[in-house]
Amino acid sequence: MFNKLLKKLSSLRFTILLICLLGLIFAIGLWVPQKRLLKTIYIEWQKNSPSLVAFLDALGLTTIYTSPITITLWLLFFLNLSLVLWQRWPIIKSRITLSNAKIADPATVGGYPFRNSYPLPGNLDGDTIIGLLRKNRYTVLGDASGFYGVKNRLAPIAFMLFHLSFFLILLGGMISIYTEFIGYIDLAQGESFQGELKRYNASPQPKMPEIGSPPSASFSVKSIVPRVVHNTPTGISVLLVDSRGKTHEVDINRPYSTDHTSFVFKHLGVAPLFVLKDASGREMERANFKLDVLRMKPDRFALSGYTFTATFYPDYVLEGGKRATRSMEFNNPMFFISVEQVGKKIADGLVPQNGVLEFAGYRLQLLDMPFWVRFYVVKQRGLSILYSGFAIAIIGVIWRLLFFRREIVGAVRDQDGVRCLVVAGRSEYYKNLAEDEFAKLFGDVLGN
Amino acid sequence: MVFWEMVFYLVAMVVYALAGGGLIYSFVFKNPRVVPKVTLLVAFGFMAQTIAIVARFNAIGHLPWSGHYEYALMGGWFIIAGTLFVGWQNKQLQCLAAGTVPLVLIMLGYGYMQNPALTPMAASLKTVWLYIHVYFAWLSFGAYSLAMAAGVVFLLKQKSEASAEPNPAYERFPSLGRLDELIFRYVVFGFITDTIMITAGGIWAKDLWGNYWAWDPVETWSLISWLTYGITIHLRVTFGWREKRLAWLAVAALSTVIICFFGVNLVVNTSLHVFQVR
Repeated sequence: MFNKLLKKLSSLRFTILLICLLGLIFAIGLWVPQKRLLKTIYIEWQKNSPSLVAFLDALGLTTIYTSPITITLWLLFFLNLSLVLWQRWPIIKSRITLSNAKIADPATVGGYPFRNSYPLPGNLDGDTIIGLLRKNRYTVLGDASGFYGVKNRLAPIAFMLFHLSFFLILLGGMISIYTEFIGYIDLAQGESFQGELKRYNASPQPKMPEIGSPPSASFSVKSIVPRVVHNTPTGISVLLVDSRGKTHEVDINRPYSTDHTSFVFKHLGVAPLFVLKDASGREMERANFKLDVLRMKPDRFALSGYTFTATFYPDYVLEGGKRATRSMEFNNPMFFISVEQVGKKIADGLVPQNGVLEFAGYRLQLLDMPFWVRFYVVKQRGLSILYSGFAIAIIGVIWRLLFFRREIVGAVRDQDGVRCLVVAGRSEYYKNLAEDEFAKLFGDVLGN
Repeated sequence: MVFWEMVFYLVAMVVYALAGGGLIYSFVFKNPRVVPKVTLLVAFGFMAQTIAIVARFNAIGHLPWSGHYEYALMGGWFIIAGTLFVGWQNKQLQCLAAGTVPLVLIMLGYGYMQNPALTPMAASLKTVWLYIHVYFAWLSFGAYSLAMAAGVVFLLKQKSEASAEPNPAYERFPSLGRLDELIFRYVVFGFITDTIMITAGGIWAKDLWGNYWAWDPVETWSLISWLTYGITIHLRVTFGWREKRLAWLAVAALSTVIICFFGVNLVVNTSLHVFQVR
């Protein structure tokens, strides 16, 4: 019973079934909105079809990549892989072992579809032929009376290597999941960060690691300079100075990495410095506000009991009497600010840098217009193991599929009074293409 | 689109359309002598497409790697380059154009309807990983397309040989045994480059988005596609799936790649792989 189960679990049919089921699960995950990945869409969908979503939730289809079904399939996949590797190892060992027992009669040996007999030129002896085969990267055993040659003898090891890389990827992946910290933090030019957990944005809530500690980075933001050409963001330069005084430049595709943590640039905003003064010119309040206004949506801030709604135009222009931006380049940055008091609009107007908006005897002055950035902070361990797995997978797949084995057996014999090289050959994967290769090989060896 | 790019893009499309017609003619009217002439036509179209790429490169300062239009332009170039290369190496394989030229024609037509506007390279694409990731993506798509073309030719030739009056047009093509091995060889090449593409994508994603894998729709489809071709290799090597079954697999499996490149963004708008990147 146990042996029967083991046989089933280690069969390649089972492997293919598992891969098909995993593929199906992944495809379902594309169509059913996933709770973790598409939170907003999921919540909207839940509002519209509560019973359907509840049903799919119960089946685990809305958290499909971590559902018990998927985890069971992965477990079975790795169990199957382990059993297959365990069973294949003795076969691989015997295939890569060089032994004189592999020398066989080329005329009668089975399993070698390519057979031929070549008359030998007078000046060519058996040792020269073997030497020429070795030059063609064949490992040869025996002599002219009977030899066995193999090219890419160790190729079957690549099978093990490729499949073992899956375990490294699994291990690296598991370590990265369990040690993962994820959080978002908004930092404006001039701000410092010492790794304080309370500084991370409350929404989305930071994900704490199951094992290990949150990031312990410490730096200050020296400058933020976005680059935009013809409406296309072409880069951003965020200069950070760490606790040792070393400067690091963050750009898109270039996060700040420290202590297994990456600070990835995610979002840009404007952090204007506003000062509110009364009619006598006395300063009432001043503050930098991190406004999320670069998507042409207004954002709000409050000062001394007034609420301000700010719309930002990076390249302000008045088009047909309407406020607009010529481009997303910061050529003529301008705020349009409307002021409210207890929900009632009392004033509005355009405010450029160093400009002023006057209302109800107050003056709102825009003193500076630096930027702020949102960093996606992720701490993970195990990435070196994961990347090693990737590298080994690539090496394994190239080695196994391109440098496949070719085997030949041969002997120099007299046939009807003519000295001939009698050979038989076989190749992994290809029969017809290998026949061409063998014909060319022996043509070259014999100087034809 | 700059003027000369548009001119040569359209020239390439017209020439590929003529070549596709010529190939259909050679099959239907059993006239194999047309195939070498049609191959010359394909080469002419390829030159026009290359000039279109050069004109665009001249205008934007980088190779066309992003957006559906640029994907069609550059991807189609890789597929035709592969077709001409194998046809040049082995005259019998010129017939593969029967599968790849119509595919590229559809891609170019689709690309033209998308977003051919000239845009500076987005910041997210300014990395060496773009070239590795996209280059290997196109190599794999090209190889899988050739496998599909070889599969189509195999199925047609097999059907012809089984009939009472075999079509002489197929005599120029490789034997069924060789076609069968070629399908597998192209699948293997595609699988290797696909593996490199996914790996490079994972490493790039870590720097760009912070995670090497995020179950993004395009990522997920590329995994499905990789698994599909992995199964194809296992079925061939371990279960001996050859000839007709392998040919059908090569034809059907290409759909996963097409969905990955062009289909996912049509049905979901949540992918981080915004091919219409700006």
